[in-house]
Amino acid sequence: MSFERDLLAILPRLRRFAFSLSRDRADGDDLCQAALERALKARDQWQPGTRLDSWMYRIMRNLWIDEARARQRAARTFAPEEAGAAVGHAGERDIEAHMALSDVDRAMQALPDEQREAIALVLVEGLSYKEAAAVLGVPMGTLTSRLVRGRGALIEMMGEAA
Amino acid sequence: MSNIDEAMLMALVDGELDEVNRRRIERAVADDPALAERLARHQRLRERLADHYAPVAEEPVPDRLRAMLEQGAAVVPLARPAPRWRGWMTGGAIAASLVLGLTLGRVSSEEAGPVGMERGVLVAQGDLARALDTQLASAQDGAAVRIGLSFRRKGGGWCRSFDGAVAGVACREGDGWQVQQMLPGGGPGAAYRQASSTDARVMATVDALIDGAPVDAAGEKAAVAQGWR
Repeated sequence: MSFERDLLAILPRLRRFAFSLSRDRADGDDLCQAALERALKARDQWQPGTRLDSWMYRIMRNLWIDEARARQRAARTFAPEEAGAAVGHAGERDIEAHMALSDVDRAMQALPDEQREAIALVLVEGLSYKEAAAVLGVPMGTLTSRLVRGRGALIEMMGEAA
Repeated sequence: MSNIDEAMLMALVDGELDEVNRRRIERAVADDPALAERLARHQRLRERLADHYAPVAEEPVPDRLRAMLEQGAAVVPLARPAPRWRGWMTGGAIAASLVLGLTLGRVSSEEAGPVGMERGVLVAQGDLARALDTQLASAQDGAAVRIGLSFRRKGGGWCRSFDGAVAGVACREGDGWQVQQMLPGGGPGAAYRQASSTDARVMATVDALIDGAPVDAAGEKAAVAQGWR
């Protein structure tokens, strides 16, 4: 009973994390939905007493990596055809979409996934290094070096505004 | 040159440094404007990112996500159970539960709704209260609220299950009806509809509360006549 209730309580934070990972509101909520489906199905695997939010972050992050890989494959497969069809409108649309993004969105988009997820967990979600390293399944040293590189890139891209 | 690298500055901003190193950096920063600026840049970045994403966590969650969790029995125990429930609640019987979620927000802002908040508990009002007071299960064709079962609960007192705009179970408290459980209903005048998970959950609540069997039509009539005392 309380499993759903606890998920509901952290759902706003899960949406925030999904958004910072996926860089798009609709993609973010799709990611949340997929993660909730998986969590409800795999609820027996969650150990009461451990942090439900960390468990969910891990599910979301794994789903997002799968999704990103699938998109890359699709992009490679369909690139020639899409490039042909994109002449004209799509280019303008892309530019408009790009203009609508804030500096922060743009800078986060430009980061490699592994740096973006580290930044999202620590700077946005407020996890400790230890917790974030556990979510990502990497040693602390790897996490901190990703944080250093990610931050350096963000500060550079966001310029003095940062 | 102070041998303080970006990783140290970053760890300070992230609250990850121990006391000794924190003091060391703070002292170095005090003597070195360039270092102070680098530290400030890290602080600004963290604040800016947090501020940028904060609104997402503050806005209402989309219904489709919320529904996934509420369908799966997102039951929330009443925050303050009335004293006389405690015996069976601590006995593990639970079930005096209600679905809150968005509904509670709607409830408290919508005076005309079927359920309102009084001193921290949910009470029936309007049409629902009238139906619970007087409506007989045997005579309710076309009524906005349909009464299901009427029964005495463990520990004494009357309860009735209902369906309409909301479905659930309410029990008599003083002159009113305290709502024990509230679920999305089958809609006004939902005379015939397929058995749903809502029905199963209402029945589970009835099972947990009921003392003996529900009353028949004559018993229900008598209880109405006596004002459910």
